[in-house]
Amino acid sequence: MAVVNLEDLTKIYSGSQEAAAKDVSFTVEDGEFMVLLGPSGCGKSTILRMIAGLETITSGTLRIDGKMMNHIPAKDRDIAMVFQSYALYPHMKVRDNLAFGLKRRGFAREEINRRVTQVAETLGLTPFLNRRPHALSGGQRQRVALGRAIVRDPKVFLFDEPLSNLDAALRVSTRNELVSLHERLGATMIYVTHDQVEAMTMGTRICIINLGRVVQIGPPTEVYRRPVNTFVASFLGSPPMNLVHARLERGLDGKPLLRLGRQSIPIPERWLSDAEKGRQEVIFGIRPEDIFLRGSVPSYASTAGLQMEVVAVEPLGAETVLILKTDEIDQKVTARVGRDVGAKKGEKIEVQIDLGSALLFDPETSHVIEDR
Amino acid sequence: MSVAQRLKQVAFLILLSFYTAFVAGPLFWVTTMSLRTTTEIAHNPYALPETFHFEKFYKAWVNSNYNVYFTNSVIIVLSAVAILTLIGGMAGHCFARYRFRFRRFLYFMIFSTIIFPPQITIIALFQILVEYGLYNSRIGLILVYVAFQLPVTVYILESFFARIPSDLYDAARMDGYSEWSIFFKVSLPVALPALSTTVILNTILLWNEFLYAVVLIVDEAKRTLPLGIQQFMGDHLEDVGMIASGLMIAIVPVVIIYVFFSEKLIQGMTAGAVK
Repeated sequence: MAVVNLEDLTKIYSGSQEAAAKDVSFTVEDGEFMVLLGPSGCGKSTILRMIAGLETITSGTLRIDGKMMNHIPAKDRDIAMVFQSYALYPHMKVRDNLAFGLKRRGFAREEINRRVTQVAETLGLTPFLNRRPHALSGGQRQRVALGRAIVRDPKVFLFDEPLSNLDAALRVSTRNELVSLHERLGATMIYVTHDQVEAMTMGTRICIINLGRVVQIGPPTEVYRRPVNTFVASFLGSPPMNLVHARLERGLDGKPLLRLGRQSIPIPERWLSDAEKGRQEVIFGIRPEDIFLRGSVPSYASTAGLQMEVVAVEPLGAETVLILKTDEIDQKVTARVGRDVGAKKGEKIEVQIDLGSALLFDPETSHVIEDR
Repeated sequence: MSVAQRLKQVAFLILLSFYTAFVAGPLFWVTTMSLRTTTEIAHNPYALPETFHFEKFYKAWVNSNYNVYFTNSVIIVLSAVAILTLIGGMAGHCFARYRFRFRRFLYFMIFSTIIFPPQITIIALFQILVEYGLYNSRIGLILVYVAFQLPVTVYILESFFARIPSDLYDAARMDGYSEWSIFFKVSLPVALPALSTTVILNTILLWNEFLYAVVLIVDEAKRTLPLGIQQFMGDHLEDVGMIASGLMIAIVPVVIIYVFFSEKLIQGMTAGAVK
């Protein structure tokens, strides 16, 4: 397996002023499952294609196991790729699709047959070896695409949104299969997706990309709980993190407060050190699952209360999403509460906010305020 | 089924029958005439054959040099279609897949020639072929046919190649194949419906081509079938029976080609219509 290192990787397409990927730097360790996550058009597929050798690199360096790969053709990088559209050769049977790459590399027929048979057994493709892709279901095609990559036994596996063409149920089962496969093979894998559920459940680490730049890299829970800026905070999580304009101030009794509209909630003293550094206007970030109704606050939470009005109730079966608002705050606030909540539209309720999970962001830079 | 639906069905069947008669009628008529003598046809042009004169085909084939014309047509058309398919395929593939300098200009230059009818270019072609010693030669006619049909061939194939997902080519590159190999092992096989379409269209068109053949070929031994049929048409007399027999000899290979490739032709025409 392999270590993949990107250093200041940049891609500017000819005729374009903007970089599709700019100064991208990260390292994927041996055996790691790195997920590149970002909205459509953010440059994650461009980065993947540069690693694969399907796009030229404008500047920066790409190394695999310490060896510079910038000018090495795709076929010589010992990388296999699974495409979003599977890219199966429609005129070939499944067996020939699996063997195509091995034939080109001069493997003996017996070796090719052995590998194809083994991979087909592993992925449950043995009954379909003599079928053509058009006679397969979406899930079967996806497994053939995966098999074509595995059969080559490469150093690095690349996945370009391989599950996006599958239905929801199949996506879940295939996701689990991919995770099992990674555990079984112990291979270095780089996976591109715009689906945060895939990123959170599959990745060893997530690399969030926006507008061609790396925004944050870290384990899924760290990126989720400690986003570095409002983009990451609002991109991860469904519903996304509530980001509300607020103000740090000191009350008449000298206690530190966070003003949200006409209401103020008590906050830890250390939060106010930011105001004393000259920063008073902040963006208050709180995840929907960290807002509780009275009577259902968990013991670990240190909370503060807010009066809010229910704008909408969305019962989802397993839980209920409440859309809330309060006076003088333009943004609506979303809360995820239990399924048996009896809140009604227009009702005024008190919610408890877990300050231990809350974050403050700088409204000018959008970055998280550390040490709060 | 309601009365209105049934009436609609009947009306459609009547219309279809008229159309079938309109299209198939002349073919059927030529077939019957090919088995009758000219005298019989003169007495009653539309009658069915009472005696089947198969010896007319032999007469046309041997005595009237149809075997020579047929062979020439096969050589010239097959060669031209083979070259058109290969060059047209390569050009279509390049235009569809690659971005290179002067791509748009070349594209325009090739397709702008479609608007010129053969009547405009025939004199210039005649002069060029004479200058290069290709006048009155099979090779010269093959080259003219290739040049004449290349724009349409490239147009049809380029449209089809452009619809092939680029991921397929990326996958082939990752599998280690060169651009050359990708063209022969991936592009061409996947484009078989479109290739069949161009083979059929080119074969039918070039098999029946008359103008270039009559101007650029003068030797009896190098004539193609359309020119051979012409010899039965005199200034004062037309041997209608032999014309019909000659036509049947000319039609049969085209029908065979169509029957062989027609399934792919339909696939080529409808491929991509539904995702």
